[in-house]
Amino acid sequence: MIDSTEMVKKVFTQKSGRVDTNRGDEYYNSLFENAKNRLSTLREQEPLKDIDMMDVIESEGVNRRDFMKWVSATTATLMLPPMFAPLVAEATELMNRVPVIWLELQDCAGNTEALLRSSAPTVDDLLFDVLSLEFHHALMAGAGHDAEHQLDEAMEHFKDNYLLFVEGSIPMGMNGNYGTIGPSGETFHDHLQRISKHAAAVVAVGTCATFGGVPAASPNPTGAVGVMDIVKGKPIINIPACPANPANMVGVVLHYILTGQVPELDSLLRPKFAFGYRIHDNCERRAHFDAGEFVEEWGDVGAQNNWCLYKVGCKGPMTFNNCSIIRYNEGTNWPIGAGHGCIGCSEPDFWDKYAYQRPMASANIKAPTGGVEKTVDEFGLGLLTATTVGIGVHAVASAVAGKKSGEEGEDK
Amino acid sequence: MTVTMRIIHWVTVISMIIAVVTGLYIGHPYYQTFIADPAVDKYVMAWNRWWHFIVAIIFDVTAILVGYLYFFSRFEKPYKKLIPNKQNLVEFWEVLLNLITLNRRKKFDSTHSDSFNTVFFTVFHLLLVLMLFTGLQLYVHALASGTSSIGAWWPAMLHLVTDWTLYVFGGNMGVRYTHHFSMYLIIMWVMFHVYYQVWRTIFWQEGDIAIVVGGSKFVKEEEDKKQD
Repeated sequence: MIDSTEMVKKVFTQKSGRVDTNRGDEYYNSLFENAKNRLSTLREQEPLKDIDMMDVIESEGVNRRDFMKWVSATTATLMLPPMFAPLVAEATELMNRVPVIWLELQDCAGNTEALLRSSAPTVDDLLFDVLSLEFHHALMAGAGHDAEHQLDEAMEHFKDNYLLFVEGSIPMGMNGNYGTIGPSGETFHDHLQRISKHAAAVVAVGTCATFGGVPAASPNPTGAVGVMDIVKGKPIINIPACPANPANMVGVVLHYILTGQVPELDSLLRPKFAFGYRIHDNCERRAHFDAGEFVEEWGDVGAQNNWCLYKVGCKGPMTFNNCSIIRYNEGTNWPIGAGHGCIGCSEPDFWDKYAYQRPMASANIKAPTGGVEKTVDEFGLGLLTATTVGIGVHAVASAVAGKKSGEEGEDK
Repeated sequence: MTVTMRIIHWVTVISMIIAVVTGLYIGHPYYQTFIADPAVDKYVMAWNRWWHFIVAIIFDVTAILVGYLYFFSRFEKPYKKLIPNKQNLVEFWEVLLNLITLNRRKKFDSTHSDSFNTVFFTVFHLLLVLMLFTGLQLYVHALASGTSSIGAWWPAMLHLVTDWTLYVFGGNMGVRYTHHFSMYLIIMWVMFHVYYQVWRTIFWQEGDIAIVVGGSKFVKEEEDKKQD
């Protein structure tokens, strides 16, 4: 239990959702100097993996011009002024100086899959070839004791310097025994605790790792929780969404390489550069929302004309993410563009509270009376009916009683 | 009722009707636009939201006024009726008994707002305050950029004042449910309020319904007292 004073303190010192896109010349100049110094220090370090970013990029058919386009887009995504573009390019080349350990816990491996399934890789995807991935359950060749050994070595060698990426939730039920790993049968909980202990920062990737996601959906049989509920005393960066957008993962790593710090975070520890804006505010169907033009059912005239998906359950107005700007699959499209409402996959409790295909007003939620599934409206209507009945009974009784006392009065 | 209070009352009535009608539309847009103009030229949802926000702001301002009058009114100060002392508890109980015994006993002073009425109205204003905080949280949710047409102080202040609702009601979706559900509680309250005022008018025969129109009612002197 959290101490009540602590709770109050926490509420009133909460950082607001404010995104400061212009912090003034002084701030950016000093950041620029710091970043430049940091990059030159990094450049002197031995690369952990002898892969040249520029070679990789060229071998995949991405030319220098495309790379520079990507650099300016990424600089803008990180909310840095254009003068940072050369530094971002340099940081990209120095990606192989920062060791990354990637853990795969209770989830569908969707975040890893999303990266691997790319047909024509973007710079974001290619960065993961360059990134010094020292350990990754799903991608590594080794197994069993070999894998354990490699993990121990990476942890020892890069003690307090590695970035720990975590994908998947942590089951806490049955003493954590819903998820064990490796030949020793270590629970996910202990595994995460042990490896996060000497990480420079922990990056929770995907909604399972951040807020518990689908495994934590009601009734949450395994007692799944997110990384931030387990790991304490470490900088934690949450990159929710199902799957997390590779551009946001790269953004966090680049920011770390550039500044040696985690980016500015919101109250849910999500980087503000990626989660500072509502999907609704940058949605291409927004004009139809304001005009009251809605898709009524799948495939109707509204759907054919790309009208707003609010009435078929779009959660864009409640969801913070930059997917309406940077999109998925090499920027080709995103759910709303493809005709499906947003299901709020980057919000806490998304499966229980967001992922239903109905408007909020007809959503099934558990009534306060417990257990019984009723909608807010049905429950509200029930209350109103009860009030009407109560008033009716009282009115009739009053009328009858009033008549009687009136008659009695006359008798007297 | 003073002129100010009567104005507040009717402003509240009109605001509430608009808030409920537009709120129901925002929650579930039940009618479709049939205007043939392109989307950029018509603003059905935008108008509903505009009215909803405008009456919400009026609501908030009157709520602050009412809150002020609770303590500093030059006439009856309602907070005095909320103190759970013996006199108020007895009065509350007697008014309730009057209601549930269908006016068989009336052992309280009906020349002024009684303790029961004051508690009842306080519940209403607390519901409005809940609507205010949850509504403003939903509103500031849309000012995610941290700026507004009147400056950055406005969203910053709203965050400071309303972010606690996110914890209490379990995130933004919970705040939405609460905001939506509280509407039903308020409609329930209104139903009883209207019924009770009409009932009082009929059974007390003191013209209670006139309080909110002309500002006053008459009170029957007790016959027993007159005979004494």
